[in-house]
Amino acid sequence: MEIKKKYVEILKQQIEKAYDIQHEKIVEISNMFGQCMSNFGVVQLFGIDHDEEFVNELNYRAGGIAPFHALKIKDLTLRGGVKVADVESGRIYLPENVAKTADALMGLYELDDRDMYVLVSTKGNDPLVLELAKRVKANNQKLVAVVNKASYDACGGTLLDYADIWLDMCSPEPDVALDLAGVKVGQTSSTVANVIAQMLTAETYRYFIEKEGKAPVLFSANIKGADVHNNALTDPYGRRVR
Amino acid sequence: MVVAKTYKDEIIKLIDELYESQNDNIEAAAKMMADAIKNDGVIHVFGSGHSVGLGIDISNRLGSLVPIHIMDTADFVYRGGVSIEEFTDKVNIFERRPNMAGRLYNLYDIRKNDVFIVISNSGINGVVIDIAALAKENGHKVCIITSMKHTTVEESRHPSGKKLYMFGDVVIDNCGPHGDALLPTNGPEKVTSVSSICNNVVAQTMAARIVQLLKEENIELPILTEDEERNQRIRKYYGGRI
Repeated sequence: MEIKKKYVEILKQQIEKAYDIQHEKIVEISNMFGQCMSNFGVVQLFGIDHDEEFVNELNYRAGGIAPFHALKIKDLTLRGGVKVADVESGRIYLPENVAKTADALMGLYELDDRDMYVLVSTKGNDPLVLELAKRVKANNQKLVAVVNKASYDACGGTLLDYADIWLDMCSPEPDVALDLAGVKVGQTSSTVANVIAQMLTAETYRYFIEKEGKAPVLFSANIKGADVHNNALTDPYGRRVR
Repeated sequence: MVVAKTYKDEIIKLIDELYESQNDNIEAAAKMMADAIKNDGVIHVFGSGHSVGLGIDISNRLGSLVPIHIMDTADFVYRGGVSIEEFTDKVNIFERRPNMAGRLYNLYDIRKNDVFIVISNSGINGVVIDIAALAKENGHKVCIITSMKHTTVEESRHPSGKKLYMFGDVVIDNCGPHGDALLPTNGPEKVTSVSSICNNVVAQTMAARIVQLLKEENIELPILTEDEERNQRIRKYYGGRI
């Protein structure tokens, strides 16, 4: 089979699998999102490197739900006084440094006890993600974990120990879909994760319509008049979102 | 009612449509990129907003091509001598100042045989159009990834009145709807979006095909494998260009 076609077919199978084995959990998590947001809570999102793709898929997105907010490593360097070299060398992620990094990161934002968290970690073993998970649970806040279970099991992840509920990216470990006579290429995990994020958006929308008759849906910023509509949704939260 | 299954079914259909309608364009882009890499070129990737995800998705993982360089406006702070206060100025918004593209372009080591991928769902904003125009002026081949349904109905915000796709040697339509939001509702809003997922499918199929084409040339493949020493050697070879 032509290689692009083969990639597409494998990706579609993984998306179908992600839906089949998890659609009930997707509904349950979306209901948690909706309940949190109805109580004027924000769903806080965090992931590192490729795991940030899932975060971006829920955070301030066209056709997305407004009260999400992302904690971003880039903010540490742009606003938090952390040196770029300490991010690039991975120093901020070392187990002995993650408490300090978590302090700096969480200190940048207006976090609230009404918020809940989604932590994304393909392998479920990032020390910084685990540090955040411990803090979220110590503060009795709800925690959703998103992992790639095959990678999680292979790499000794522990994130699920802290999670109230979790989702699987349904991709293989290592995350390569194609084999060109021994050469492995073609990652799928982040794209499946993005589809999961959009399914969560759809179900959170459904929650709002059922409970409140309307939903806080953002418009694309590249459509005329979108700014006014979007600002009306986010302004009540002040610095808690955006 | 919009639910997870609605989204899953629609995105699977859209991925099929994307493959069927864009396979020839992706093939042409892959050939252009493979030629560039064969001739010691690097692929520069620039996307604004959520379009940054495409470059991230095909970089820095097992099976990823090494000669990919992500252009990022945060580099003004990291390596361009711009202060964080200036970069995050909320009144005189930095990215909307004149000649931003030229200043960004000049931050990087861009060489003769390099090629560009410029991504924008709307394809109407100044900086992305300027980057594509600059690359063309400097004799580089440019691949554009955009939503033709969106870009053809919105007015350009560029002084020339042109749209991004007009600068492409190859243009790939990500097949997303106007405004990126996918699912119609009973109200005025549409909910969920597709561009990150469609862009990833374009990027992943293109990258896999590039590797396959390079493999036919019997040259050392500049991709990440499980051999970390080899990875370091290849990364060092491209040095500051990536």
